[in-house]
Amino acid sequence: MRRALAFAWLRLRREPGRMLLGVIGVTAIGALLFDMLLLSNGLLVSFRERLDRSGFDVRVIASESAVIAGPPIDHVSAKLTELGRKPSIAAVQRVRVASADVADHPSTRHLAVAGVDLGAPVPWTLLEGAPPNAQASPAPLVINRNFARTFHLTVGSPVVLNGRCGDASRPLPLDATVAGVAEFQNDAADALTAATSSQAVAALCGERGDLADMLLVQSNPAAGGPDAAAAAIRAAFPALHALTNEQIVERFSRVEFSYFRQLSSVLTTVTLFFGLLLITVLLTVSVNQQLGEIAALRALGLSRARVMAGVLCESALFIGLGGIAAVPIGGLLSRWLDAILRSMPGIPADARFFVFTLHALEVHAALLVIGAVLAAVYPMRLVATLPIAATLRREVVS
Amino acid sequence: MTVPVVAANAVSRTFVMPAGAVHALRGVSLSVQPGEYVSVVGPSGCGKSTLLHLLGCIDVPTAGSVLVDDIDVSTLSDSARSALRLRRIGFVFQRFFLLPMLSAWENVELPQAEAGVSRAERRQRTRELLEYVGLSARASHRPAELSGGEMQRVAIARALANRPGLLLADEPTGELDQATGAQIVSLFDRLNADGTALVVVTHDPEVAARASRSVRMRDGEIVEETTRPCC
Amino acid sequence: MRRTASFLAVVLLTWTALAAAPAPADVLVSRQLLEREHLAVGQTVELSSDAAGTAARPFRIVGVYEPTPDPMRFAQERLEVRVHLPDAAALEDRLPSSSLTSINVELRDREDAAGFASDVERRLPGLTAKSTAAPDERTSTFAVLDRFHLAIAMVTVFGSGAFLLALMVMLVDERRETVATLRLIGLTKQRLIAQVLVEGALIAVAGAAFGVLFARAAEPVFNRFFQWRYDTALVFVRVTPAIALRCVALAVPVGLAASAIAGWTILRRRALLTVGR
Repeated sequence: MRRALAFAWLRLRREPGRMLLGVIGVTAIGALLFDMLLLSNGLLVSFRERLDRSGFDVRVIASESAVIAGPPIDHVSAKLTELGRKPSIAAVQRVRVASADVADHPSTRHLAVAGVDLGAPVPWTLLEGAPPNAQASPAPLVINRNFARTFHLTVGSPVVLNGRCGDASRPLPLDATVAGVAEFQNDAADALTAATSSQAVAALCGERGDLADMLLVQSNPAAGGPDAAAAAIRAAFPALHALTNEQIVERFSRVEFSYFRQLSSVLTTVTLFFGLLLITVLLTVSVNQQLGEIAALRALGLSRARVMAGVLCESALFIGLGGIAAVPIGGLLSRWLDAILRSMPGIPADARFFVFTLHALEVHAALLVIGAVLAAVYPMRLVATLPIAATLRREVVS
Repeated sequence: MTVPVVAANAVSRTFVMPAGAVHALRGVSLSVQPGEYVSVVGPSGCGKSTLLHLLGCIDVPTAGSVLVDDIDVSTLSDSARSALRLRRIGFVFQRFFLLPMLSAWENVELPQAEAGVSRAERRQRTRELLEYVGLSARASHRPAELSGGEMQRVAIARALANRPGLLLADEPTGELDQATGAQIVSLFDRLNADGTALVVVTHDPEVAARASRSVRMRDGEIVEETTRPCC
Repeated sequence: MRRTASFLAVVLLTWTALAAAPAPADVLVSRQLLEREHLAVGQTVELSSDAAGTAARPFRIVGVYEPTPDPMRFAQERLEVRVHLPDAAALEDRLPSSSLTSINVELRDREDAAGFASDVERRLPGLTAKSTAAPDERTSTFAVLDRFHLAIAMVTVFGSGAFLLALMVMLVDERRETVATLRLIGLTKQRLIAQVLVEGALIAVAGAAFGVLFARAAEPVFNRFFQWRYDTALVFVRVTPAIALRCVALAVPVGLAASAIAGWTILRRRALLTVGR
């Protein structure tokens, strides 16, 4: 096999231009294939990483529908008190989201304002300023960078918010002071996000009910972790839906991510099919041009298996060289494609569609090996069934 | 009684074409003794090359049998016939069929490598063969850099790589001018003098005349055999 | 006598109770919900606005509808119902205020949609009014996907172009001796290049046309697969005349360029060298 490989290398080197073009073609197709493998799981991996980084491993919502968009959870304070007593739960946080405008600014850019218990673990990472004090007056506001930049705010700046809730804004505006600038999870690149106390958000919309759109739970690893925490919540409140991070990822995979997975599968299949077709044609034309040589080699005594191995090695070299080059090229290409997809509205700024995993590389390598063999099947058959005498005769006549 | 290097016993070869069957050989018998020099002559289409292909185990007869060193090749598998060609038979073609991406040296070395000869032995043998054919100085040149005669000499060296007992040549001087052809023919004389059995298919009467036995064919049959008095 | 009076009282009480019970309101359910929950038209179900099911009200299924395919939600199971507005408001009695999510307006003059929308926003501050044809978040999502698919297509064309060039070089190389002989006879390079270009153009046009036909044939296969997979009536793949034209406009020049380059690789050498002399 080593001789066959060395021979195939010499044969390819004989026509360097042709070899280069073939390898470039394989590289382009291989890069696309590699990227589709990265896409098949990338967003899921990215989503899982972000969920795990948030510090909360169970989320509780009122219905099976999409988070935040479904009905709110009521009697939240009582529920928080009861959940706080569970040994499998380390901490619980409530989140109530409202929409608002900044007073005296055009109302085309609405803000998302999250109301939380400021004394509990919070779902953001403070970049500037100090943790907000729930007792402070005016209400403390933590804002994201985009908000600060858009409205020229810094820590200490006063802000007046008008709630956009239900059928009318709250008649009296809400005075607030910027307590800090933070990074919020799941923020889109152009999102205007703020957070304050749950009382302030309730006041923003004139709400009297004790409501939350979602509860965020930190489980106690020593008492069974997230599965135990979720089970305890379901036992205490059967009407609520408690989802561990793993379950959210699974749901995301089944629903929101389904399109990209399907797209990845379809494009992988189509890319492989046409790549194989192109390489098979290239190899077949190459073999057809060398039939005289091959017949002469067979006449000299090279066995059928030997000349077939030569074709297989040629295929392996094309695909091997192109496939190896495809990995870094695919990596670069994936950045471009990732940038395109991340420009979709509502996509969190730190989400990644194309994430490198060892599994993707393994699948890429396996597909290339299978591809090299399949692409060589027809040309190998040509050389295996080559009639030596007739070919030699034909070569002489031609 | 010595065993013939190769013997064809009443071989026939029929090619089935769309326009109808072509009987290229009809019951031809020919045996070649070790060290014998046989030429096969005849008009185009008389079956000379077909006979050579059968003797060289490149093709199989429709009827009859071919024995190489007393082994009926029809009983052998394709890989066994390949092995036979690699070690026992050398082939020289009209169009040389040298591998263009290999140098003269590498072309001669190729069959030895396939036969599993060690590197040291291959080096020694290749040097000897290129010297034998007078091309030591052109060993590193590719076929595109050689003249027709030089290419044919490399092809002959390649055919002799594994010390075959039989060399088959199909119109070896067909693509060469007269002077170059004469060089090749002289080489064949030397080979034969050194003990290699030769079967040469040729149109050229001067080439044919060098053989100790000449076989004339017509319409797929041997019509005349002439033995040159002693050689 | 006493027994008759008791019986009449029970009948009266039962009749009064029945008369006082609200008649089930009408509800339409989505086909997906009907299938998932094994419901049937005519069946009475209870709907509630909260997860605990408090203050549930009875509704009678009077029909099934197919939800309008929404490309933003095609991967989601469309488990939804439609009720009359007063019944929806009654369901939401527990919420602090009842309000509408949106109002759909059909105009007599559809061309005036944008003007009507801005007029509404001016007269009713706090409301957002948009023409359905106006670009919104959903449009930009699909614009992004369009760019994504175009990027993939460009990479594919590049890779295919490299292969095509390799094949053309090989095929032209096969005719090296013929080309050299023609040159030796006296045909000019330009004449031979023109020959190569004509052949390349014919192959490129035929190939592009075949490609478009193949895409058209594959279109229903893709659509049927994804419609089955996501239980939707959305059309995922559509080969429009503009797309077909774009493909041909891209493929033909690529094919021509490959022919020209392949022809140049042979014709740039001297004829004698080409025949190996």
